[in-house]
Amino acid sequence: MANERLKLLEEVEKEIAMVLQCAGNIVLELSRDKHNASFLDRQLVQFQTSINRVESELSAQIRYLTQVATGQPHEGSTYSTRKDCQMSLNRAEYAKVKLGELGRTCEAMLEQQQI
Amino acid sequence: MCIANSYKKKTRSNRPVLDVQPNNSSYENALKQSLLWVPLSTMANQRVLPQSKETLLQNYNKRLKDDIKSIMDNFTEIVKTAKVEDETQVSRPTQAEQDHYEMHVRAANIVRAGESLMKLVSDLKQFLILNDFPSVNDAISQQNQQLRALQDECDKKLTSLRDEIAVDLYELEEEYYSSSYSQWNSTDLPLCEAYRRRDSWASPDSSSSSTQEDREDAVGTPSQEANAQHHVNGHGTTSAEKP
Repeated sequence: MANERLKLLEEVEKEIAMVLQCAGNIVLELSRDKHNASFLDRQLVQFQTSINRVESELSAQIRYLTQVATGQPHEGSTYSTRKDCQMSLNRAEYAKVKLGELGRTCEAMLEQQQI
Repeated sequence: MCIANSYKKKTRSNRPVLDVQPNNSSYENALKQSLLWVPLSTMANQRVLPQSKETLLQNYNKRLKDDIKSIMDNFTEIVKTAKVEDETQVSRPTQAEQDHYEMHVRAANIVRAGESLMKLVSDLKQFLILNDFPSVNDAISQQNQQLRALQDECDKKLTSLRDEIAVDLYELEEEYYSSSYSQWNSTDLPLCEAYRRRDSWASPDSSSSSTQEDREDAVGTPSQEANAQHHVNGHGTTSAEKP
């Protein structure tokens, strides 16, 4: 859920860049002697769409934060479960090491007997 | 420039060229001044008062509205300025120079407003990460679930491994501790020896052999060497001494 909102805000950033780019393209086209009317119309529609989308998305995010935010710090943590999982992996690693030693000892004994 | 501005009032719209919005640094200074942080160590009776979230969000709203309005107004004025007029109150070069300067300033205003919007998005991202409790709770619970699943799987595999190895380990211990290579004392009995002693205590016929084994335990290494003389292969002495 958090990732979706952050991705939405990244999309908004791209829309802001699109707004500036469309404005620049329109001014560039107006600076020429002969204007391409269809290009101007397309860029203007894109400009208006992008700026409306930026305003609506950011307003929606601010409205959501107004409902959800409490002003208090969040005190949740994953430290305990992370530690338990780490200890479990350490147990598995230790068992693997000990089994490796046992295997090497057995192989050494077998080689001695063969000799 | 004053003459140009006065002419501008007559011919163009009354929209000022320069944006009236404060720049970011003065705005931040005003924001800091509005904060009511009082260190607890200096004033014993006063509490620390943080800025309310409502004020911050209203601030975000205002910034959004102002920046969007600035972009729209400045862009509209640029497009109006681009129109070529036949009748001008000053000479054409002067008017062209004035229009050129005005367009530069308005374009800079549009870019500044866009930059301010990007800063607003960055602030909203930060606020979202810190204060969006539902999503933070979801992320924490999801992470906890994954870690617990991994831990359970690891422990389950270790338990099954232990059960499989226990059988083989019994046989290995029996072979090792009954050989001449083992070095153990009576206080640290291997599993196979403990089972054997339990069986021998259960039957009274083997009491003499058990006492002899105890004496061997007490002696330690020399007794093992003595046993080695009797048995060439180095196998367990108990099997030979048992009746």
